[in-house]
Amino acid sequence: MSARAERPFLPTLREIDRALAVSIPERVAILRELEFDLEELRARLEAEGLTTDEARARALDVLSPDGATLRELERLRTPVYVRLTRGLPGDRLRVIERAALALATLSVLLIEAGLLLDADLRVLSPYIWLVLALGALLFATIAGKAFELWIRRDHRRPERGLVAILVLAAATVAAGAGGAFGDLYMLANRIEGGGAPASTLAVEWLVRSCGVVAVALLIALAGGLAWFVLAHWLALVSGERRNLLGIDHNAHPTTR
Amino acid sequence: MGETDFDVQGFARGIHELLVLSSLRGEPKHGYQIAVDVEAESNGLFRFRHGTLYPILYRLEEEGLIRGSWSKDGGRRKKVYTLTAQGRRHLDGETDRVGEIVSRLMTILRIPGATPA
Repeated sequence: MSARAERPFLPTLREIDRALAVSIPERVAILRELEFDLEELRARLEAEGLTTDEARARALDVLSPDGATLRELERLRTPVYVRLTRGLPGDRLRVIERAALALATLSVLLIEAGLLLDADLRVLSPYIWLVLALGALLFATIAGKAFELWIRRDHRRPERGLVAILVLAAATVAAGAGGAFGDLYMLANRIEGGGAPASTLAVEWLVRSCGVVAVALLIALAGGLAWFVLAHWLALVSGERRNLLGIDHNAHPTTR
Repeated sequence: MGETDFDVQGFARGIHELLVLSSLRGEPKHGYQIAVDVEAESNGLFRFRHGTLYPILYRLEEEGLIRGSWSKDGGRRKKVYTLTAQGRRHLDGETDRVGEIVSRLMTILRIPGATPA
């Protein structure tokens, strides 16, 4: 027996899934409850003497939401953040959100800079600023994605921006490694130019390059961890939705 | 109760909520059981159509009047609703209020020229 034959309400569930604009976990919960109720009601009506088709049609008439009910469900499942900001025009809200994200990113950058400025600047690689700038960008991307998925709960394009996190984490490592090589080039020039003993300069380079690489690795590790949490959560909820709707796991998970 | 306090549309909407709460007074039920029982107990007078039951259930759940919990039945997950203590108090209070409204309405309908006290 095919999966479709075992689950007669699957086409209805898919139709509702397309029409219902709520977050993926909420959509899964609504559809899961609906399918159970539809199947149980159909079985009960069949037991009372209705034909399979009659029971199915009657169950759908009672329980399957029409357009007005779907809009009411969406209204009830509107995220708190969206309810609170409903009074603001869309354009203005976007500007405020971006400004808040920029402010948070700037704060992170300033905290990072403050911590580093406490250290001995002579042992800091100039490339550390590039690494920190990439780290701040990485933070902004992660914060933006987390905000979209968990606060605004906008799951229309859930995977958008996830690759950017990995790319930025890789770019941070590359900047750190590149900085170590850049410092090595400067070290060679200084040794060639004379002045301080080569062994002293070499130790200084070692400290500088270790610092820049370590900071880059730490930032990339944090970015990778954030990517893992976001991607894992998304895979989990998207997988549940696909299982419920009997969708091929290789299909793109983009939802309304 | 003053005339301005009474919201006719809200009253009609509230009746369905009360029917759901009343249906859960005895035992926890699934959504479809509530729909079936309300229709059976009212001899078909009140019936849910087009999934209108679900917004009511979610609203009552959000207000803490009922509690929905998930369980597993074989491979399937199902949701069952229970009336909370707050829901029971709300139901008792609203039942009295509806009784009073219906009683006043009947007074108007049965005695020509009579006005409620």
